[in-house]
Amino acid sequence: MMRLLNYRWIQRPVPNPLGEEKATGVTRFFSDMFPQGCLMAKTVRSPHPRAKVKGIDVSQALRGPGVQAIVTAKDIQGLNAYGVFFQEAPVLASTEVNYVGEPLALVAAETEEQAEAAAEAVRVDYEQLPFISSMEEALGPDAPNILPDGNIARHCVIEQGDYRKALAESHLVVKNTYRTQKQKHMYLEPEAGMGYLDEAGVLNLFVGGQNPYRDRLQIARSVGLPKEKIRVVNFPVGGAFGGKDEITLQIHLALLVLKTRRAVKLVWSREESGAAGYSRHAFKMDMETGVGRDGKLTANRAVLFADTGPYMSFGPSVMDVAMETVNGPYIVPHYFIEGTLVRTNNGMSAAFRGFGAPQANFAVESQMNIIAEELGLDKLELREKNIWRSRARANFGHELGNCEGLRKCLEKASRSALWKYRGNIRPARPWLKSGVGVAVAMKGIGFGVLPDYPAAAVEVHPEGHVTALFSNPDYGQGLIVSNAQLVAEKFGISPSLVKVSNADTNFVPDTGGSSASRSTYTSGGALLDSCDKAIAALKVVAADALHTRPDAVTYSEGMLRADAGELDIFRAAGLLKEKGAPTKFVGTFAVPRFDSPVSGSLEIPHMVHSFAALLGEVEVDTLLGTVRVKRLLFYPDIGRVINPVIASAQCDGGLMQGLGYAIMEEHVYDASVPKTRNFTTYLVPCPTDSPVEIGTEFVESTEATGPFGAKGVGEIPIIPVASCLADAVRDATGVRLKQLPMSPGRVLSSLPDQKPAEATA
Amino acid sequence: MLRLLREDAGLTGAKPGCEAGECGACTVLLDGQPVTSCLVLAGQVDGSEVMTVEGLERHGKLKHLKHAFADEGAVQCGYCIPGFVVMSYAAIRDGKASDIDGLKKALEGNICRCGGYPKILAAVTASAESGKGGP
Repeated sequence: MMRLLNYRWIQRPVPNPLGEEKATGVTRFFSDMFPQGCLMAKTVRSPHPRAKVKGIDVSQALRGPGVQAIVTAKDIQGLNAYGVFFQEAPVLASTEVNYVGEPLALVAAETEEQAEAAAEAVRVDYEQLPFISSMEEALGPDAPNILPDGNIARHCVIEQGDYRKALAESHLVVKNTYRTQKQKHMYLEPEAGMGYLDEAGVLNLFVGGQNPYRDRLQIARSVGLPKEKIRVVNFPVGGAFGGKDEITLQIHLALLVLKTRRAVKLVWSREESGAAGYSRHAFKMDMETGVGRDGKLTANRAVLFADTGPYMSFGPSVMDVAMETVNGPYIVPHYFIEGTLVRTNNGMSAAFRGFGAPQANFAVESQMNIIAEELGLDKLELREKNIWRSRARANFGHELGNCEGLRKCLEKASRSALWKYRGNIRPARPWLKSGVGVAVAMKGIGFGVLPDYPAAAVEVHPEGHVTALFSNPDYGQGLIVSNAQLVAEKFGISPSLVKVSNADTNFVPDTGGSSASRSTYTSGGALLDSCDKAIAALKVVAADALHTRPDAVTYSEGMLRADAGELDIFRAAGLLKEKGAPTKFVGTFAVPRFDSPVSGSLEIPHMVHSFAALLGEVEVDTLLGTVRVKRLLFYPDIGRVINPVIASAQCDGGLMQGLGYAIMEEHVYDASVPKTRNFTTYLVPCPTDSPVEIGTEFVESTEATGPFGAKGVGEIPIIPVASCLADAVRDATGVRLKQLPMSPGRVLSSLPDQKPAEATA
Repeated sequence: MLRLLREDAGLTGAKPGCEAGECGACTVLLDGQPVTSCLVLAGQVDGSEVMTVEGLERHGKLKHLKHAFADEGAVQCGYCIPGFVVMSYAAIRDGKASDIDGLKKALEGNICRCGGYPKILAAVTASAESGKGGP
């Protein structure tokens, strides 16, 4: 057994210093900036899902009052395309448009009203073209090609063993098709930014984003400036959830500032965000899963299709994560996984908390629950028979790390009173039906095989504090306090002495972005390395001051000690400064990676995973079809918990977004026109949807490669919610829904006494 | 009124989240009653008292609430939170925070997309408790 270490500053609910400031309205978001003389900008967007652009006439718009500039594709000095993996999406469309909301021109004027009027006065001559509104159409024989390379953006197959033979010899084969919908991020602060050129000619951009250095690269590539002439600041941000991981308006803002040489502010309206912002990929998943008489999985065949919109953006990552997730955290000896990323004219899909994991989890966990029902096995017992074991060879050929936490998650769930006494819940009215469901989840931390070289820094100030510098934006996760705790723990000083400099390319090293549950793991690792470097350098200068050798100096709790005396790190930093030596130390972190990606994929496999088990209780109104979520009991393994309050806040948030995904949220496209662009038409959970009981109980677990044993928490809570609640609805009503969301209409029409013909279980 | 507050008075605590009265991020008190300021015309409030989150803070009305929101972990991205704080202040004042269902109903018009409801509800409940017997 490992010795339980007694930590001083981690594993504690240190309050987030931003909490009060945000609560009292003191924090200024970029939307809140109103610099004097700042121009207001608007975007001219396509009303058509697909059209040829025959001309853009800005002459009348330019004559509008207050109009300072109109930017079109002609103004782009660099590459008129963006995209994290493949640069397919035009920065500004000039010859054709491929989705409703695609940007064609930008207007800057003295006031918002003037900019709006001028944007309306821009004349675009369109020739409408046939468009593709579904994956089935896109793959049909007569479909027009959205891009010259065809409507299949990516296709890959991962195979092991002989799934055909294994399925044929299985005791039981469960075959089903699952469908999931597009989900919108609906952050409360829409895409927003403000930019200006400073006296040194540096383009300063304050924009809601998730990865300042990568955004800077994309901006530089398009506007034709060297990266060093651009500063990107991504803090604070009013919500992101993956929807600000790709470029949104950064390049537009840069073009406007460069053309006008003035400060410019660009904020998307809710409706613009609803139409032109990104969404989660809709999936269709054909599953065939085999199991032996002993309850051990024999084979899995998963054929996945995802609607990526006209341009891929994060599509390859989303599909890879889905393919990696669709076997679950289970040993599957034989499998065939096929992923097809399909182009349509239904707006752009990109990253959303969990990438493709919530989708694939809905399929594989529903399969597991059906298998348990068919075999008459306890659902958690079936999982226990199949879960990954530590150090075992995983499905994709790599050796698994520590998976003990996964087993503990299952144990905790099976011991809970809700699971033990699930048959005893009696609803208050005869038309209400209660049920309890279960699901298990896994999520790889970080980018898998993709390059990831995070760097962060600490600076020790003679004035008496330490600054932690990292680029992963804190857009609400609480990274600012948890990273301060990590640095405090390492130095042995109070977190109140640790200040943070966050997400500003002028001041912090490139730690990468906040996505893929990687922030604590990567920035934490790099910060601890920089602390080690700081302490080593401070020992040298202290040895000098104390007339001894560096190896005779010991360090603890902010003090450097030798036989001859002692001094604190701040005084030692002062001595370094006097010698002209740096007091800022850059550290790095080597993300463990498998030598090469699994053939056909970009990033499979991941080496480190978070895990979870989730129990959910629902009450289904069989007259109205409404699903009321009464309880969500969550048992995650996120490694060492740095701050239990903010970690459980992350879990609440992921569970609530998962609840929305499961029972109400759907971004509807009708003939490729987005219909759900605001909070009236696109429903998200509100306070009354908050369950009677929502609780997170972390299992004790440590990851050897993580900072003080931490992994990641951002995505794991959203992943198992839909599959768990589908199981709870099945337990309540006898009907298992295989399509999301489980909205009242869909629930009602599936119930046997309502429409017997459609009651397919 | 939202634009008047933000652009002319420099009071940016009230946030535009939808500008259609759907999200509650712009909630202020108009003659003591919570309203979504994006739906109120500036001309309509001539002669009325408008209290923003900044005003409540300046008048010392948020002593318990602001600490409770921070300590309970109710603040994530924080964009919706000033609206929640104003609405919660009114809910506590009007005795709607004594039971959880009543409180949920009182806060129903405010959306937190970070999904912080469990901790927001806990913060308001804790604040209502500690505020008993004096402001």
